[in-house]
Amino acid sequence: MSIVMMLANLTVERGGSTLLSALSCPFHAGEVVVVLGPNGAGKSSLLLAMAGLIPAGGNIDVAGKPLSAYRRSELTRQIAWQGDLPPTEFGLTVKQRLVLAAGEAGSNIEATAAAMDITPLLERPLGELSSGERQRTELAALMLRDTPVWLLDEPTAHLDLKHQIQCIHMLKAQKAHGRAIVTVLHDLQQAMAIADHLILIDGKGAAEYGTATQLFDSERLSQLFNAPVVGQGAVLVPDYGGDDL
Amino acid sequence: MTLRWFALACAIAACLLIGLGAGDTWINPFHAGNGLENTILWELRLPRLLTAFAVGGLLALAGAWFQVLLGNPLAEPYVLGVAGSASAGAVTGLMFMPESTWVMSAGAFIGAWVGIVAVLFFSRLGPNRMLLAGVVLAAFWSAVLALLLALLPEQGLFRAFSWMMGDLSHSDLPVTLLLLAWVIALACGLILSGALDKLLLGERHAEALGVDVKRLRLRLLLLASAVTALAVTAAGTIGFVGLVIPHLMRLIFGSLHRAVLPASAIGGGLLLVLADSAARTIIAPAELPVGILTAMIGVPVFLFLLLRRN
Repeated sequence: MSIVMMLANLTVERGGSTLLSALSCPFHAGEVVVVLGPNGAGKSSLLLAMAGLIPAGGNIDVAGKPLSAYRRSELTRQIAWQGDLPPTEFGLTVKQRLVLAAGEAGSNIEATAAAMDITPLLERPLGELSSGERQRTELAALMLRDTPVWLLDEPTAHLDLKHQIQCIHMLKAQKAHGRAIVTVLHDLQQAMAIADHLILIDGKGAAEYGTATQLFDSERLSQLFNAPVVGQGAVLVPDYGGDDL
Repeated sequence: MTLRWFALACAIAACLLIGLGAGDTWINPFHAGNGLENTILWELRLPRLLTAFAVGGLLALAGAWFQVLLGNPLAEPYVLGVAGSASAGAVTGLMFMPESTWVMSAGAFIGAWVGIVAVLFFSRLGPNRMLLAGVVLAAFWSAVLALLLALLPEQGLFRAFSWMMGDLSHSDLPVTLLLLAWVIALACGLILSGALDKLLLGERHAEALGVDVKRLRLRLLLLASAVTALAVTAAGTIGFVGLVIPHLMRLIFGSLHRAVLPASAIGGGLLLVLADSAARTIIAPAELPVGILTAMIGVPVFLFLLLRRN
């Protein structure tokens, strides 16, 4: 599998404190890397830095070229980023939002909308959607971006069970098509279902990169989240029954 | 959509007829009876109609740009205090040369740009900072204006108040310049329309879709400010056109700027032509300041839009 993106000694700061220090790792085509960590640890900031949307120290290479050497318009052909859409006040419809994501080659809009179950919403203003509908719209907008790298910030947030499963299936299918996917997730089951590699961020500057087999470990995850995680191997779950918090 | 553009074309024709025909006495533009009527129609009313159309269009374009620039649907051309600084400049001009409209216009133009540079200096292009700086500076300019009005000789007061409420009767700027500005502003707006659409998704999403947001903000601020300064210089401060028209056009033509901007440039022009026709007619042969009429038309329209959206 070819390397499509590479981080070398990446450092991310926010509000004067270091969220991430000296993270180095490769991202391969056809691979899913899941970013895990507690709230405020810097997971979203990592994705923003990788998308060139916030400044970061160290080096980020995209397709063998430093990220800083790309013009913003060129970078959109390499990286697609999905994050929370802020409230919009100007009546932009779901279809218009998808057209903006698809650009000139926006011929797949109807098919993509159908895949994300948002066909009936196409003419609705974004401001009238529920959180889950907005999330599905944003996932559809991402699907219209044919870039080698996808960065997703909690893609299953706000989704009901059916659409969470649909989202995970979609990511698996994209991975099979050779897309490099980096996604922040909070659900351990979902992470285990798709992760090839993990990045664990503790929020104190330390970050660990490794294969899913190496890092999916109840003790390590309990320590990371400062919360009880029980189980073995591919079955790790939060311990909701215990009082060990 | 074609039907909506056709309706707008019909509105243009109707407003042209009303703008030319209405006044102290009604003159049918197709059957101007004598030389005097011809002179009134083509040498007095037509230039004034075109001035009103260009100024209204420029204000509506500036309003649409400020709304996207600040991410705030309540923004309008004077939101950053440009009306206050331009008024202060105009009154300063009046203090030095009470008889000269030209000096007053120059004062307004300089005042508008002083206001814009002050906002730019204090806001560093952040939308929230820009809005806050605009509100605070507007209060400052309003205090400066009150001070200048207190010092202004009595004969200048009526002229100052009339200008501050919008006055198309003393416009010194050539009509061709204003129409050219209307065309250039609309063309610039259309060139930026794709990036403006993306900015509706928020700063980060726009950047992720390839927009250099900082550069776009600077361009928008300069463009909207230049257009506002020109409109204020031509006709004083005329409210509500820049607030109401972009909303109305979004309701009719959707949110994408390749439709909203031309529709606003035309719709703003038409609103001001209608308002000016009414201002010249209601208490003829005297005239009302056109700003009063735009407020009287604009406020109910805006409240209607508000209720409809609810």
